[in-house]
Amino acid sequence: MNTSSLRVRALRLFENSPIAGPLITLIVIYILSFFFVPNFATWRTLSGIVTAVSISGIVTIGITLLMISGEFDLSLAPMIAMSGYLFGSVSVGADNLIVNTLSGWGMPVGIGEPNIPFAFALGLLVPGLMGLVNGLILVWTNIPSFIVTLGTRQIYRGLVWIVAGAELLQVLDEPAIYEVLNGRFVWLNDFIKANFIAEGVRDRVNFRTATIWLFVLVGLYQTLLVRTRFGNHLFAIGGNDGAARAQGVRSVRARIMSFVISGLLAGFAGMVQFSQFKSVRVAEQTGIELTAIAGAVVGGALLTGGYGSVWGALVGVLLISVLRSAVILLKLPWVPADNFPAIVGVTIIASVVFNNWLRTRSTS
Amino acid sequence: MTEAVLEKVQDPFADAPVVVDMKNITKRFGTVEALRGVDFQVRAGEVRALMGDNGAGKSTLIKVLTGVHTPTSGQIIFDGEEVQVNSPADARELGIETCYQDLALIPLMSIWRNFFLGREMVTNVGPVKWLQRRKMAEQCRDSLKDIGIHIRSAEEKVGKMSGGERQSIAIGRAIHFGAKLLILDEPTSALSVKETNKVLDYIRAARDRGLPVIFITHNVNHIYQVSDSYTIIRQGQSVGTYLKGELTQQDIADLITGAREK
Repeated sequence: MNTSSLRVRALRLFENSPIAGPLITLIVIYILSFFFVPNFATWRTLSGIVTAVSISGIVTIGITLLMISGEFDLSLAPMIAMSGYLFGSVSVGADNLIVNTLSGWGMPVGIGEPNIPFAFALGLLVPGLMGLVNGLILVWTNIPSFIVTLGTRQIYRGLVWIVAGAELLQVLDEPAIYEVLNGRFVWLNDFIKANFIAEGVRDRVNFRTATIWLFVLVGLYQTLLVRTRFGNHLFAIGGNDGAARAQGVRSVRARIMSFVISGLLAGFAGMVQFSQFKSVRVAEQTGIELTAIAGAVVGGALLTGGYGSVWGALVGVLLISVLRSAVILLKLPWVPADNFPAIVGVTIIASVVFNNWLRTRSTS
Repeated sequence: MTEAVLEKVQDPFADAPVVVDMKNITKRFGTVEALRGVDFQVRAGEVRALMGDNGAGKSTLIKVLTGVHTPTSGQIIFDGEEVQVNSPADARELGIETCYQDLALIPLMSIWRNFFLGREMVTNVGPVKWLQRRKMAEQCRDSLKDIGIHIRSAEEKVGKMSGGERQSIAIGRAIHFGAKLLILDEPTSALSVKETNKVLDYIRAARDRGLPVIFITHNVNHIYQVSDSYTIIRQGQSVGTYLKGELTQQDIADLITGAREK
């Protein structure tokens, strides 16, 4: 095989894959930071970057599915908070409104009587139900999902406020499930410390188990998207809903389903979050939807639907996280950690320009 | 009908079975009468052109047939049986495939995914419908090749194809899935001359496989090249149905605009 046909093949590979653009950008920025940003080339920075994306990464998977089908969900933060309160209270048997009410209803939980499986089920299914409601309102009213979820975002926040008794929830117990969902990844950290950090080097490594879940979920949903009929229909609906319906695709059912999935993922993210911090407040993760949308868009998803990938979205959130670390470590005069979003803005616009250029080459 | 008739033409479809028989169809939208008692027949193996100026009622007639509109009155007989076509899904069930200009394909998806959309070949793994990707890509390629459509790769995105190629995929899909009637809505309106000729070839290929085609357009020239018969609609009424060779292009144009009464 000569070099020119290799080049054509490589180009085609990149053209046909939504992940190509963001991946190139991520690698370039990582390498540049690695060599030119002081203190960037440490395990501490790398594990920090990866850990920072676990929660937003899980949420971004759901947002990506929705965006591929041409929809949004702006009500994910209250779902995360709801999941945190329900999971947190039931997993320790807290003396609060939630546990009192549930045990009053005859549910298998009481003050000082935690119920881990029930806590997990609640943390997952209640946000799933909230997603279902979003989907049903969408298909019944035909109002754009942006507006529907802008409304339910406030309603759900109100629900969380009621369920929480307007109070912060903070627990001291540490049931084993917290370690499973988002504890220290002891085995990996020790392994790296023993083999890759030289004696006397001041470096720490702090990977967490949530990263495993993130990668498992990314793999699972990417497969769902590309290899199953449901995934195929999401692309079709987002690409051209009329054409998809004309071919007999059950658009309504698939769209409701993607809202439910997005809710379930937000619920899982809420439990992962609670497992790390052991606290949750009503306004938890406000604005995470926009971070997730930014990640998905940087990762190659089209705002108008019909295009994108879960891998790409993961690369997108990683790219934003790498940039944050690099910018903070660079100690730029006007961009301390607090002013980091300015850099995200630049990244979003620049990556979309680049992704568009790649996609146009492949589709017209 | 005097000067319109050039010569008496033998009707090659005189004995062919009638696939669609629409009888005395009317359609009212409020006070507007879009169709005023139209009769329309298509017989097995023919390419029937349905012609008329904008707003003449040809789209309304087709939408009645494809279940988009319910007729105010009238009867539809398909394959010998009276049918109610209440939705596009009903029409599809009957074997009526429609290729609308903008509703045929999804540009951001690959050819095989478009080809099998809504009729995917799957393996059931519990509740999950696993796509048989390689099998579909191969069948799509082979099936298109059978009717003379050559594609570089079934993995290519439809958006990368020309308008004519896209039409050909939609036509190929209808043939592959055993449609009983193919309706093409303005398939050549946005195409170059070369592309148009290709699409006209595919229409002939569909007819040669015994698939009757209704070809909607107002381009007299395209119709003239491929159609076996013409039905002309004006102001919600059928002006008449003519066989190939009975009319000149000028006659057709005059009948469409009403410059000459029948």
